[in-house]
Amino acid sequence: MFTERFLRDKRGASLTAAERARLEAAISEVRTYKPRKIIAKAGEPLDQSTLLIEGFMCRYLDDRSGLRQLVAIHVPGDFLDLHAFPLKVLDHDVATLTGATAAIVPHSELEAIADEMPELTRKLWFSTLLDAAIHRAWLFRLGRLDANARVAHFLCETNARLVSAGLSDGRRFALGLTQADVAEICGLTTVHVNRVMRQLREDGLCVFRSSLVEILDLARLTALGQFNPAYLYIDDDANPLPSVQRPRS
Amino acid sequence: MNLTATHLQPETEPGVASAEEGLVFLDGPDGIAKTMTPDAAQRTGQSLIEAAAEATKQKTDSDV
Repeated sequence: MFTERFLRDKRGASLTAAERARLEAAISEVRTYKPRKIIAKAGEPLDQSTLLIEGFMCRYLDDRSGLRQLVAIHVPGDFLDLHAFPLKVLDHDVATLTGATAAIVPHSELEAIADEMPELTRKLWFSTLLDAAIHRAWLFRLGRLDANARVAHFLCETNARLVSAGLSDGRRFALGLTQADVAEICGLTTVHVNRVMRQLREDGLCVFRSSLVEILDLARLTALGQFNPAYLYIDDDANPLPSVQRPRS
Repeated sequence: MNLTATHLQPETEPGVASAEEGLVFLDGPDGIAKTMTPDAAQRTGQSLIEAAAEATKQKTDSDV
């Protein structure tokens, strides 16, 4: 079963057995990728989309001097370039961060699903809207939060996404990213992230060591990062995570 | 939504700079988080001090 993590525990969007079987049948092949490998380039015509089964992938943009900015990371269960189905090209590159396994779904199969199963089509649409919600949270993070809070927000978000995917117990999860990756995600230098990580550790909030994140105080980490998981649309019953209500006037 | 969009208002609280491993870290206000070499930090600081003096003078002149 390659699609078991897709939309797992997502509010009103979990797949029925019939929908899951149809999506499984739509997979044309399963590919494995080495770490740090580009799998799609901006502007290239695409006739397939990629459902991540294992590992971490990213979307990124390069500035004119070739320096990369990560604009999204993807965890197992993400349909990471589903938006290429209507758009036909990407406006960003896609690459692996870790070794990864992905299921390939031809766009012709997605067209058939759109004809046959409107409710499954709505759920695929839900998936791309979830991506957009995460992008909005990333904008908030970069625009409003200081260095410690940015990293705290990112770690809380990733924890919540992995809890939803069944890959975190809510306190510990494997994160195959380097501090340089976290720096790109959070708009910081690597040395700044190193400093933040030390601060989080000394404050008893979180330890990130050897690709393993251990959250020591989830409530305080959540508060520091002003993290509210509402934008991840996780089923209330499946969401054990605290949230922070932002002040309203 | 807070109708007072604070990011459109001038900051009234200073950022905090600190030094570590031969670099200068500027944290805050709000979403500012930068790492600078000592030389870049010194020149940024000098530029800030000069601009602050000029802005203070502009405010004094406009109050007259």
